[in-house]
Amino acid sequence: MQQTQSTKWMTHGEAGLMLFFAMAAFVCAFAAAKALDAPFAFHASLAAVASGVASFAIMNRYLDRPASLPPEEISGKPNYNLGPIKCASFMAMFWGIAGFAVGLLIASQLAWPLLNLDLPWTSFGRLRPLHTSAVIFAFGGNVLIATSFYVVQRTCRTRLVGDLAPWFVVLGYNFFMVIAGTGYLLGVTQSKEYAEPEWYADLWLTIVWVVYLVVFVMTLVKRKEPHIFVANWFYLAFIVTIAVLHLGNNPALPVSLLGSKSYIAWAGVQDAMFQWWYGHNAVGFFLTAGFLAIMYYFIPKRAERPVYSYRLSIIHFWSLIFLYIWAGPHHLHYTALPDWTQTLGMTFSVMLWMPSWGGMINGLMTLSGAWDKLRTDPVLRMLVVSVAFYGMSTFEGPMMSIKVVNSLSHYTDWTIGHVHSGALGWVGFVSFGALYCLVPWLWGRKELYSLKLVNWHFWISTIGIVLYISAMWVSGILQGLMWRAYTSLGFLEYSFIETVEAMHPFYVIRAAGGALFLIGALIMAYNLWMTVRASEADVGTELALQAAE
Amino acid sequence: MKAILIVHNIASDLVTSVWTPIFVGLFIAIVIYALWPRNQAVFDQASRMPLRED
Repeated sequence: MQQTQSTKWMTHGEAGLMLFFAMAAFVCAFAAAKALDAPFAFHASLAAVASGVASFAIMNRYLDRPASLPPEEISGKPNYNLGPIKCASFMAMFWGIAGFAVGLLIASQLAWPLLNLDLPWTSFGRLRPLHTSAVIFAFGGNVLIATSFYVVQRTCRTRLVGDLAPWFVVLGYNFFMVIAGTGYLLGVTQSKEYAEPEWYADLWLTIVWVVYLVVFVMTLVKRKEPHIFVANWFYLAFIVTIAVLHLGNNPALPVSLLGSKSYIAWAGVQDAMFQWWYGHNAVGFFLTAGFLAIMYYFIPKRAERPVYSYRLSIIHFWSLIFLYIWAGPHHLHYTALPDWTQTLGMTFSVMLWMPSWGGMINGLMTLSGAWDKLRTDPVLRMLVVSVAFYGMSTFEGPMMSIKVVNSLSHYTDWTIGHVHSGALGWVGFVSFGALYCLVPWLWGRKELYSLKLVNWHFWISTIGIVLYISAMWVSGILQGLMWRAYTSLGFLEYSFIETVEAMHPFYVIRAAGGALFLIGALIMAYNLWMTVRASEADVGTELALQAAE
Repeated sequence: MKAILIVHNIASDLVTSVWTPIFVGLFIAIVIYALWPRNQAVFDQASRMPLRED
């Protein structure tokens, strides 16, 4: 018999990764058996199972696939790799709903402490990092991975580099989130805000992130377009800087290689400075640079208008990069941090007004000639309102970094309100807008299942955000003023518990706002699910009709 | 401790004496590149990159 097909071989990547995961499964199983504490044993078991599954999945995938890998181009057009992007989009929606739900729960716990249930696993202290990590890193991270893989392929007109590597990034990152999230519930934490995961989770994230960087950069290297589109610059800054921040803030020495506890290399005020250099740049490069990349691709695409000023986008990018990295010390005003460092942080934060607003203007003005679309297209409205929220919270942020303002606002709910106007209004809405665009594109559908539902999502969530942030403004300023009120004899006018009591109504309003935001996200999940499913049905009937003819 | 101080001093000297002017120079060069009239055509094309379909 004549052999028509070339012989099928495993690629080096497939064989190597399968071997790596097979060995990892044994090492993790051993670590689980010898573990010094229960959470570590649990995590090692999870890792052993996940590694085993990964190894089998790679084998299965190899057996199922044709002899040759997917081609770079099909009839002259780039053969884009969409599988990992679909997966990351799905995970983004999953983590978004989980994160918003936990947020609603902890907001309710603050209003009604009974909801802590008197159990360690459900207490505010453990659920709070679960909420922040789920929404920032799990929801936001998956949106960034999905959109960056999409945008870099489309604007470079080339297929994503690697066969298993993009899958490794998406699944590896989500596995990191599982380890981080379950760890918080079990009491495993480094106690560094936004960097709570312990040493072993950090090491795993480092591996995943390096692969992410390599996939992204190598795709840029083999681009068919001479010019690197500005969104890719923002994505690259996000990936590179997060790598640097992660390594800088997490050098820890584990007490044992078989236990979850570690000690950080930094101490005292150096540790505090490293933490907030990290913390603020997580805002600057994760929650800002990455999502600005989304703004620069998705708003022009959806509005069918070019970027308003490409020159401004270049200046926007570099001034943001040069300034943001110095703003961290504003988190440590009136602490043991040297005064000059605090002033430095404040000065750079105030200077950040310029690139932030430059970028906002560029995003908004991209709609010149297409403003009427805001009336008819709720997805575009969501994207544009997100940029308006970006402008608002980047005005508020520098103002709050000014020392005299900070003396009132710091440690109060005003900070929480500020963070959420950025997180819900800017990051949330720009992500929703991007996912509403992305899902029909990925599954090859003309439009979403229902634009009406997007409209409902938009308005319910917007009302939720307004309730949330206005409640926190009032509560925060009230709190700050009560803390600094003196009697005529120079005593503090209010005891601490009196200020807590005064917060109660605002905590209830905040929880109501959070509930609306969650309802909006549930509507979105339904809409996206129906977009994917309904399209399958459409395709099915089309095929049936063709067959009948 | 002494070693740390020496490293710190060298690092801070480097920051003030070398990197600040380099970064400022670099930024000015970027601004000139962005505003250079002859680059306008390239930027006009680039601003339409999201709109192109294969």
